[in-house]
Amino acid sequence: MNNYFLKRILYVIPITLAVSFFCFSLVHLSPGDPMDAVVSPDAPSEVVAMVQSAYGFDRPLPEQFALWVSRAVQGDLGLSAANGRAVTSEVFSALKNTLILAIAASMIGFTMGCTFGTLAGYFQGSWLDRLVTGFAVGGVSIPHYWLGMLLVIIFSVELRWIPSSGAGPGSSSDWAFEWAYLRHLILPAVTLSVIPMGVVTRTVRAMVADILAHEFVEALRAKGLAERRVFLHVVKNVAPTALAVMGLQLGYLLGGSILVETVFSWPGTGLLLNNAIFQRDLPILQGTILVLALFFVALNLIVDLAQARLDPRIQRG
Amino acid sequence: MVYNMMVTGLRRSRRIALVSASLAVIATPALSDEQVLRIAMTASDIPLTTGQPDSGFEGYRFLGYTVYDALINWDMSSADEVSGLTPGLAESWVVDEEDRRVWTFRLRQGVTFHDGSEWNADAAIWNLDKVYDEDSPQFDARQAGNVRGRIPSMDGYEKIDEHSIRFTTSEPDAWFPYQLTFLLFSSPAQWEALDGDWDEFARQPSGTGPFKLASLVPRERAVLEPNPDYWDEARVPRLDRLELIPMPESSSRTSALLSGQVDWIETPAPDAIPRMESEGMTITSNPYPHTWPYQFSMLEGSPWRDINVRKAANLAVDREGLEALLGGLMVPAVGTVTPDHPWFGEPDFEIRHDPEEARRLLSDSGYGPDNPVEIKVLISTSGSGQMQPLAMNEYIQQNLAEVGIELDFEVLDWESLFPNWRRGADHQTSRDAHATNISFGWLDPFAAFYRFMHSSMAPPSGFNWGYMDDPEYDRLLDKARMTFDQEEQDSILAEFHARMVDDAAWLWVAHDVGPRAMHPRVQGFVQAKNWFQDLTPVTVGE
Amino acid sequence: MSSSTLDASAAHEPLPAAPTKGYWHSVFGRLSRDPVALVAGLILLAILLVGLLAPWVAPVDPYATSMLSRLQPIGSPGFWLGSDELGRDVLSRLIYGARLSLLIGVMPVINAFVIGSAIGIVAGFVGGRTNTLIMRVIDVFYAFPAVLLAIALAGALGAGLINSLFSLTVVFIPPIARVAESVTTQVRNVDYIEAARASGARSLTIIQRHVLGNVLGPIFVYATSLISVSMILASGLSFLGLGARPPMPEWGLMLNTMRDAIYVNPWVTVLPGAMIFTVSICFNMLSDGLRTAMDVKL
Repeated sequence: MNNYFLKRILYVIPITLAVSFFCFSLVHLSPGDPMDAVVSPDAPSEVVAMVQSAYGFDRPLPEQFALWVSRAVQGDLGLSAANGRAVTSEVFSALKNTLILAIAASMIGFTMGCTFGTLAGYFQGSWLDRLVTGFAVGGVSIPHYWLGMLLVIIFSVELRWIPSSGAGPGSSSDWAFEWAYLRHLILPAVTLSVIPMGVVTRTVRAMVADILAHEFVEALRAKGLAERRVFLHVVKNVAPTALAVMGLQLGYLLGGSILVETVFSWPGTGLLLNNAIFQRDLPILQGTILVLALFFVALNLIVDLAQARLDPRIQRG
Repeated sequence: MVYNMMVTGLRRSRRIALVSASLAVIATPALSDEQVLRIAMTASDIPLTTGQPDSGFEGYRFLGYTVYDALINWDMSSADEVSGLTPGLAESWVVDEEDRRVWTFRLRQGVTFHDGSEWNADAAIWNLDKVYDEDSPQFDARQAGNVRGRIPSMDGYEKIDEHSIRFTTSEPDAWFPYQLTFLLFSSPAQWEALDGDWDEFARQPSGTGPFKLASLVPRERAVLEPNPDYWDEARVPRLDRLELIPMPESSSRTSALLSGQVDWIETPAPDAIPRMESEGMTITSNPYPHTWPYQFSMLEGSPWRDINVRKAANLAVDREGLEALLGGLMVPAVGTVTPDHPWFGEPDFEIRHDPEEARRLLSDSGYGPDNPVEIKVLISTSGSGQMQPLAMNEYIQQNLAEVGIELDFEVLDWESLFPNWRRGADHQTSRDAHATNISFGWLDPFAAFYRFMHSSMAPPSGFNWGYMDDPEYDRLLDKARMTFDQEEQDSILAEFHARMVDDAAWLWVAHDVGPRAMHPRVQGFVQAKNWFQDLTPVTVGE
Repeated sequence: MSSSTLDASAAHEPLPAAPTKGYWHSVFGRLSRDPVALVAGLILLAILLVGLLAPWVAPVDPYATSMLSRLQPIGSPGFWLGSDELGRDVLSRLIYGARLSLLIGVMPVINAFVIGSAIGIVAGFVGGRTNTLIMRVIDVFYAFPAVLLAIALAGALGAGLINSLFSLTVVFIPPIARVAESVTTQVRNVDYIEAARASGARSLTIIQRHVLGNVLGPIFVYATSLISVSMILASGLSFLGLGARPPMPEWGLMLNTMRDAIYVNPWVTVLPGAMIFTVSICFNMLSDGLRTAMDVKL
């Protein structure tokens, strides 16, 4: 038992190293000259040389990597090539906004997914089931950046109910659980929620149908057990898996929100990445990918450990 | 805040939520008597606030000339006349008649920085060291990178007394005063107080300008407040607060203006303008020194080496059709400067839409339907001053195809196209292109002509991307640069420019008119014929 | 595992090699009786055909601009589905767009299918340390959500179709390799392969004759389920400006360039997205149908 936990935790170390290596090498995959983003193109050549040495681009690559890792461990991901600010603070302030969005989307997706999935599982084969299943397939097949545009057209352009861009009237550092901010959250969160909704619906539906098909459920029912107890039984069995699926989905949302954030100008990691790509701000690109990937690794670990805890069968696998 | 009450509405019912949503749109500006102006900029980040802004001229517009002053400022008070220079932190300046490389500047007295410290010759020299002396403690590579290229003739500087300084230029340069408008002055005392940390200074900057920075959230918002002690009493801002919000997506800016999130947007998408107007928004525009051209490669193998091809291209473009495409928000360009400008001169070659003549010229050079001119152009998807690059280029492509010039585009990001400018047509990043499409400002003769057309400005020294090398151009430019009499200088430049047009040295397409869309409650704004604008007279009504 | 796949072929031959034509015949038979999959398949076929026959089907040249008829709404004379910001016919661009969009959506999965299967089959067949080494490397890629990995690669490499194809291929190799490995590992231990090994057959021959036929089916089914994601991601990259370049007709890019007109001509701007959605959902349904028809459990 403890052996599994230990192994799983230790396994994170090589993965983390490999992920870091991948992120570092991104800069060297890039064909552009990182200097382009640092100095204005009309700067004289002696200024270029001076800035180059100030930023450390002139050092040998292995040295750059060693430096990068040792500083990353201390929470220093370097300076943005475009604006000279610390990458760490840029990434974490954006991460906060992305978390707000991703958690809101997860909650919507999870609630809807569980509701739909349970309904469909209970009434398997009915028109309701077919409708829900169709809905779920739609949820995982829809290009969410497009859904975002549709929602903007309906609710912002035509009806003009809610705003379509930004995170709120003030800066996101003032973000508060207030309508003034929440109204900005609605459209992006709903847009982002369709994928987890689809995935959770499919999972829950399959599991509910599976459990209900078991003979012992029939037996329980035959014994005259209240439908409520049957339902509780179903919930108890489905919940851990549904939560695990949702946990992973949260990770996917963090990484996958770039398109939705772009559509809604939501000031999160996605928008940061998007800007970094077009400004060829590689330190920001690197830092954001690294932080998101490590977040994902950690989330995977937590989900695995939690699942193992809840379902000891896993540890044997 | 009213918003708190609205939260309860959310829980109650959709109907109430709906009402409060529309209420919020109307209610936001009326919340208090504070005069708050919220501007959506096109930049994707807040420009650098330490003194020398980045993000091009938009940076200077919003975080340069607001918080800081130059020795010589732009006079942005007129909507009708081309903006001229006006004394800023210098009261007067004079060039030495004996040695015209030496300029003496008399500094304005009684000016204080936002932190209360005094503006004087020491502060001026400290700032010059900040960008020119790599060994000085206050040296800041970023600021240096942002400004040094804009002052090509700077050679030396020294303090004369408490209130005068002296500059030396590398050679006599009548355009030196224009260049000094880009040199802004930050407070040495504030920098000392912040332990010499420029990052910290960026958050709490101190200049002498009409606005002070109140708060800064990178990538999201800069809040400026008036400087009541501004030395020019006529330019003490009438606003209580100025909020600058980066919003690179034009559809986001449109939606932000229509939903009342901001009061003013830079560069609205032309197609959305009718919708904005129908909702009562004000659209302002005014031509300014801006040109949207194709700059040609003169290297071996470039079809542009043939003057007939250059002229044909200029005759093939239907500039009026293009104007329609942009909803009237451009002025057709028939030269680098507009015909009403003193530098325009009297060229013989009249640039117009004449495809017949274009075809004739091309056939003279042996081109024809079976043998089209094949040309590759570097264009960008967006960018500062690039207007609507994709739409415009596709339109031009169509125009030129009609006369037998086949354009092939190499589409780059603005961030890739711009650095290529200084690298030249023979650099690998140019991918063998024959022209580059970068718009620019011609505030002064150096920016308008010299950096592109003088042979000494070939890469990597300047922006002579196509390696233009013509002794006559060089002669005229050198002469103008050393001519300190304004009228005489203008007539030399007119001669130069007329020659450039007769030579069809570039393909001239459009001048931008700097459209802005704003809510009607924004009042008092005078859009100068300039890249920079004065925000101090603006008020926000009910 | 695909036990019934093996059974089905085992019924025809004493020592099973690749599934025969009869097997595929029965798969198609089952597929054609699945109305959802059938309809999805027919829609996809129609879109593919229209795309291939674009020069004959499209009303006008998808590149032809017309400044007089910009941003026409749906149903305008001459522009059934409206026109874009340059006055180009949206219908024609959607039709031509099918070519590029399908290509950049499907190619990465095909590439990844070839490369991922090869990696997975080798890992599964050889087993031991080689297997562990390969699969650990593959695991690293699982530390990235797919979208993030695609954007990291495409973002670092810079915009362009080739870079976008490459990035998405890299994204899909790990999952396919993982499935290929697990399927192969299971087949490897089946008795007849042991027997073939014992009889001294060369590894390559065994892979060719026995393994491939039995593992490719399940991997193929799995790969088809990725096409939907790949379509969305590929067009998404173009939407971000990282894939196709203007003025190419490509659905994701069209969605991006028409976005500025969202306040002028809202319903035309979303048409390319509807195409992406249709293709993506049809691939999902077809893949589900295929999975049932081939009775693959993964």
